[in-house]
Amino acid sequence: MWKGAATCLVYGALWNTGALAQNTQPDQDKELDLIPQAVQQQSADSQPVAPKAINAGSRLYLENAFSVTSLRDQPAVPTPGPRPFNWQERLFLDVRKEWRLASSLIFTYSGRTNLRAEDDLSFPTHENLSNDLREMYVGWQPWDRTYLDLGRINLKSGVALGYNPTDFFRTRAVVEPLSADPTVLREDRLGTLMLRAQQLLEGGSFTAAFAPKLYEPSAIYTNINLPSLDPMLDRTNARNRFLAKGSLNMGDRFSPELLLYHEGSRTRMGANLAESFGQKSVAYLEWSGGRRASLIDDALRYGRDTGTLPLHAPSGIPESSHESFQNELAIGASYTTETRITFNLEYHLNQAGFTRADWRNWFAAGHAHPVASPVVGELWYLRDYALDQQDPTGKHSVFLRADWVDAFIPKLELTGFVNADTYDGSGLLQISADYYLSDHWTVGGLIATNFGPARSDFGSLAEAANFMFKVARYF
Amino acid sequence: MSGTFRFVAAAALLIASAAAHAQTATEIVAAADKVRNPQAPFRSTIRFTDYIQGREREHDTFVVFSKEDPATRQFRNLVQYAEPARDAGKRVLLDGRSLWFFDPASKVSVRISPQQRLIGQAAVGDVLTVNLVVDYDATLLGTEKLVDATRAERQCWHLDLKAANDRAVYNHIEYWVEQEKFNPVKEKLYSDSGRLLKIVYFRNFAQRLGALRPIEQIIIDAVDTSLATTATLSDDVFQDVPDAWFQRDYLPRLQIN
Repeated sequence: MWKGAATCLVYGALWNTGALAQNTQPDQDKELDLIPQAVQQQSADSQPVAPKAINAGSRLYLENAFSVTSLRDQPAVPTPGPRPFNWQERLFLDVRKEWRLASSLIFTYSGRTNLRAEDDLSFPTHENLSNDLREMYVGWQPWDRTYLDLGRINLKSGVALGYNPTDFFRTRAVVEPLSADPTVLREDRLGTLMLRAQQLLEGGSFTAAFAPKLYEPSAIYTNINLPSLDPMLDRTNARNRFLAKGSLNMGDRFSPELLLYHEGSRTRMGANLAESFGQKSVAYLEWSGGRRASLIDDALRYGRDTGTLPLHAPSGIPESSHESFQNELAIGASYTTETRITFNLEYHLNQAGFTRADWRNWFAAGHAHPVASPVVGELWYLRDYALDQQDPTGKHSVFLRADWVDAFIPKLELTGFVNADTYDGSGLLQISADYYLSDHWTVGGLIATNFGPARSDFGSLAEAANFMFKVARYF
Repeated sequence: MSGTFRFVAAAALLIASAAAHAQTATEIVAAADKVRNPQAPFRSTIRFTDYIQGREREHDTFVVFSKEDPATRQFRNLVQYAEPARDAGKRVLLDGRSLWFFDPASKVSVRISPQQRLIGQAAVGDVLTVNLVVDYDATLLGTEKLVDATRAERQCWHLDLKAANDRAVYNHIEYWVEQEKFNPVKEKLYSDSGRLLKIVYFRNFAQRLGALRPIEQIIIDAVDTSLATTATLSDDVFQDVPDAWFQRDYLPRLQIN
C-alpha cells in the first residue's frame, strides 16, 4: 500500500516537472525560425571553410582624423607660448608586426607614420611628416620560459585605467595623442631603449630591465617643433633607469605584483593588486612611493636644466628643494552590467601634485603679471611638465569611465569618461563613438571639453573643446 | 507506529529516487561533455560569423589553447584574437577566476570580471572549453522530442543546469542532449536575473580530436533576435600546453604560429 503511494508520488512529481518544462512544438519552431535563412540553407553535411592563414597578431591600418579645437576667449591666465591648433588634419599608417628570424629569435616593429597639416604649421615643411618609432627590438628565448629583449621596448605596468603610478616608463613618452582617453594614450607612445630579461615560473614571473642614459635631458616638445624621423631617444633615455618586478600567483584569485624602480638618484617602490568580486566587479589598487620633490620643484629644476627657464631667476610661486616620501595611488573598481556597459570608477592621488595653496599661488601669480612676463611662461611650464610626465597636476582627482559595447545598435561602441579635480570640481569630459562598419572599416568621432570655472585646474586650460571625426581602414 | 514507518519509508524512497535521478542527470551532462571536449590538451581555431537581420556581417576568429586542470576537472583556456584585423593579437586568459585581458596595442594586461566574458556578440565566454558538469548542478526535467537545427527530430533528455560556483559563465542553462548518443543538441543560456540571453543549436557532427564531435554552433541572441552567430571549429590539434602559460605575464609572450 505505502509502496504504491510513494511510487505515485514520485512519478507524479516527475510528470509535473516534465510538463512544466516541456518545450512545445510551436516554441521550437519559433526559435528555429530565428536562425538566419543563409545559415539554414547551408548543407548540414558541408563543413564550412576555415580561414587558411591565421593572423599571428600583426596589425596594419590607415586612419584619417580631422580635429577642430575651440579655444577660450579670455582664459584666467593667458598662454604666452604656442596655443593649441584650431584645426588639424592627420593621415597616418600604423604598423605593428613581428617577424620570426629563427626558432627562438623574433624581431618586433611598431610605429606610426603621420602626414599632418595644422592651421599653425606652414605647408610644406618637415613638420608635416613624422614617424613615431614606438618599438623596435629583438627578442631571444635562450631556453624555455626565459626571454631576453634588446631594443626600443614599451615596458608598461599597472592595473588601473585612468592613472598608472607604477608605469614608470610613461614619462615623456606620449607624442601628439588624438584622444585624451588613457587607454588611447597607452597605445601611441614611445618605448625606451633597454635590455629586458624575463623569467616565467610555474607560479609567477620575474622581470628586470635596464635602460641606459644616451642623451642629456631635452626641452619639452610642442606640436610645432616635433622632429620628422628622429626616434627622439632624448625623451626616453636621458637617465639610467632600472626596473625589477615580480608577480606571484596565489591561487586563481590573487596575483600581486611588486616593483622596484631606480632612475637617476631616486628609487621608487610599487605594487599592483587586482581581485574580482562576484560576477560583475573587479577591484584594483596601484601604488608607488619614494622620495621626491614636489611637482613644482621638479618642473622648475627640469626647465632650468634644459634651458627653457632662466637659470637664476626667482620663481613666480614658492619653491623649495626639499624631498620627502611621496605616494602615488590609483584605487578603483569596475562593474559590468548585463546590458554590456562597463564602468570604471577610480580615485587618484599624486601627493607631489598641486595643493590648494599651490593653485591659489598659481592663479595669483598669473593675475599679477602680464602675459609677456617670464613668470607667466614659467606658470604654464609647470602645467606642460605635468602633462609631459603623464602626471595629474592636482593632488586628488576622480576618474569615471563607461564603455558600452553594442550600444543601441550592434557594432556601435560608445565610450565616455570624466577626469575631475576634487579641489575645484573642474574636469575633462570626453565622449567618443566607434562604429564598426565591417571587418575592415571603422568610423568614429569624439567630443571633449575642459569644464569648470575660469580659475580652476581644467577651466583654466586654453582648449575649451575638441571635436574629431575619423575613418580607419584595417588591412 | 505503522503509519510513521510508512511515512518514513515513503520519504526515504522519494529521496533515494530523486538522488538517483540527479546522479543520472549528472552522468548525462558528463557524457555530453566528453562528446564536446577531448580530455587531452589541445589547440583549436574558432571562427564566428555574425548575422544581422539575416545578412552576413562580420567575422571573429580565435585561436584557443585548452587544458583540463586535474585539480578542478575544469578547463583552463588561453585565447588569442586573429580576426577582425583591428582586434588581431588581443589575448585573454580564462583560468577559473583568473581572468586577464591583454591588448598588444596598449601592452597592458587588465583583470576582467566574469561578466566581461559575455560582452560582444562573439563573447569570449562562448569560446571557452568548459566541462559543464563541474560548474553546474544538473536536474533531469524529462525526455522529449526536439527538432534540431537541421529540422530533424531527436529524442532528447531535457536538463536544467544551475550554476554551482562563481566560475560558471551563465547563471542557468536549459540543455537538451540526444538520448543514447549523448550529443548536445540545444542550449538556452540565462543571466543572473533570469533573462534569456542566447539560444544555441549544435550542428555538423564530424571527426574532431579523436571522436565524433559537434563542429558548429548556431548562437541566437535572444535579447535582440535580429542577431545570430555561427561558431565553427577547425584546425584542431592535440598539443602540450604547459601550466606556466596560464598566468598574466605569459599573455604578451604567446605565439600562435
